[in-house]
Amino acid sequence: MTMTKRVLFSAMAAMSSLEAFCVARFPKPDFDSGYQYPDIEHPVPWENFWNILDIVLLTVMMGIVAWAIHKKESRKAIFCVSIISVLYFGFFRNGCVCSVGSLQNVVLAFTDPTYNLPWFVLLLFILPIVFTLIFGRVFCAGVCPLGALQEIVNIKNFRISRAVSQALSVIPWIYLGFAILYAATRSQFIICRFDPFIGIFRFGGDIGMIVFGITLLLLSMVVARPFCQFLCPYGALLSIFGKFAIKKMEVTRKGCINCTLCHNSCPVDALRPPYANKQKEERSAGVKRLIMYFLILPIITAACSFLVGLNSENLSRANKDVHLYDMIQAQEENPDMEMPMEVVAFHELGNSVDELAAKVDDIQKQFSIYSYIVGALIGFVIGIKLINLSVKRTRKTYEIDYSACVACGKCFDYCPQNMSPLTHSSRSAFFLRKASKDDKLAKNGGIHTEKTEKRAPYPPKEELIE
Amino acid sequence: MNKNKNISPIDRREFLKKCGTIIAGGTILGAGGLLAAKIKGKDADLFWQIDHELCTQCGRCETDCVLPVSAVKCFHANKVCGYCDLCGGYYRSSVKDLNTAAENMMCPTGAIARKFVEEPYFEYTIDEKLCNGCGKCVKGCGSFGNGSLYLQIQQDLCLNCNECQISKVCVSDAIKRVSKKNAYKLKESV
Ligand code: SF4
Ligand code: SF4
Ligand code: SF4
Ligand code: SF4
Repeated sequence: MTMTKRVLFSAMAAMSSLEAFCVARFPKPDFDSGYQYPDIEHPVPWENFWNILDIVLLTVMMGIVAWAIHKKESRKAIFCVSIISVLYFGFFRNGCVCSVGSLQNVVLAFTDPTYNLPWFVLLLFILPIVFTLIFGRVFCAGVCPLGALQEIVNIKNFRISRAVSQALSVIPWIYLGFAILYAATRSQFIICRFDPFIGIFRFGGDIGMIVFGITLLLLSMVVARPFCQFLCPYGALLSIFGKFAIKKMEVTRKGCINCTLCHNSCPVDALRPPYANKQKEERSAGVKRLIMYFLILPIITAACSFLVGLNSENLSRANKDVHLYDMIQAQEENPDMEMPMEVVAFHELGNSVDELAAKVDDIQKQFSIYSYIVGALIGFVIGIKLINLSVKRTRKTYEIDYSACVACGKCFDYCPQNMSPLTHSSRSAFFLRKASKDDKLAKNGGIHTEKTEKRAPYPPKEELIE
Repeated sequence: MNKNKNISPIDRREFLKKCGTIIAGGTILGAGGLLAAKIKGKDADLFWQIDHELCTQCGRCETDCVLPVSAVKCFHANKVCGYCDLCGGYYRSSVKDLNTAAENMMCPTGAIARKFVEEPYFEYTIDEKLCNGCGKCVKGCGSFGNGSLYLQIQQDLCLNCNECQISKVCVSDAIKRVSKKNAYKLKESV
């Protein structure tokens, strides 16, 4: 019996085709014992409920933050929101899909008519932007799980020199550019692929990304929000809307008295000290400068556009089909080479190389168009950043740079104007001590000394009025 | 020119900011409207699933899912199965003795259970908790049997990643988005 079985077995092995379809080598058994086929139920996804809850929570939490920074002027609520966000959006919902990544889905929806954009992904993308345009970056303050996670672990705040941080702040835009390029060509969602914290939220995943995530978290203990400041592409987008926000938050509504106490409280260096422009610019010089900008900007834009555009073929290698085509070609050139799994499967499924070649051609054309556009975008941003660096504006008091401000509300506690008159005298001593830990310059109780004046060149009032 | 001189730089800055706000608001409305028009209601393709007609059991489903144990599981179509004693998905093809010793088993995790029904038929069931989606049994059944074993993403385990990591490495491009109605691509009959 076993012998015959063995023979049967090897015979079957010989006749087995490569395809793994239903082939009905054996007839359907006739059961005499009244055997019934088992009923197997497969669990269906229950996503809709969670998606609705996601959107509701997102809106409510952004509302809370908006209330905390505009009405209450306190950070407590924001900190609670951060914790809820990390627990719910991060650990419970596994940090996917998030607003940061949703921008790729939106790009894809624009470029690929066959792609179905899920309704909740659109809301995840657009709600934070709407809120940012109305209230400032309330999403970043504590609702974004990535930002909230970095915020929670942050204990110390070493300031990076402004020149370095300005130079690094171009990276999010470059990242955004490439995310658009790879999403638009339906190649990869690189923001999802290289999300540093998702491995931590899921307790698993790509080991390299987890190591990167942990490194970033350790770094964010001493430098506030490194991912937000120097990587996040969605944050780059939000910074534009934050700049033009309708309702802007203030450190204090009672008016800044230039005490310098808040100077170092901002984790993202968005508090700009008072500054007086010494030389008044002639009108003609101003016009000349403007013309210069209008010349420089297109030049930088075009240069970057070409730089990226000329590399479109290399960039397209990250696309799966292009990569497969390359492998097939390499294989054809060198038949002794061991066939990669992808090529084996390609032939097994009986796909035609010509069809693939046509498809690859198409993809490469798309890459070449989009890489010029993306290059131009990157160049334009670099140009604007350069211009911004060279423009020096007069500020009479401490002002918030609303594109950088993440509305975390850390500055509220430092401003003596925010204290109620009753507690003022007793509490101010405490706050002065607290502030002086961060800002040695404020040791003199915020009184202007020679040293502080050097740090914040604030001209006497008469000069300004003129 | 005269008019310009009356506007202080502060006012001008305010004015520019207002313009910026209006442009930004307009962009949101425009883009949002355009995108909202594209949204499909209930039958949008939101879930990842394997097309078993394309799958070649490359083994990456086991290794590349973001979950510690892959969300991909082996499914068994009883109505396709031949209920053979000598199952290509149950035994390794090189077995010496047909007994259920571990070294003879195809499944590395022991996820396939077999139950005697009647001479000469055996029923096979998959324990989804043990299965890691390696696809070894699927390959065996496809090569020697009726192909009643096949891989599917189990939707309640799948995190529904914004982009399925396996789909990016699947050698036969078998993982696609499907609608809720078609959340599984089941083999019902031959
Ligand atoms: S900058 Fe990016 S990562 Fe940081 S809080 Fe904002 S959206 Fe989140
Ligand atoms: S990665 Fe693709 S080909 Fe490989 S086992 Fe999974 S579905 Fe099948
Ligand atoms: S052989 Fe692999 S795919 Fe089949 S049941 Fe076992 S673990 Fe699952
Ligand atoms: S979508 Fe994510 S969780 Fe689901 S099978 Fe793919 S990688 Fe695994």
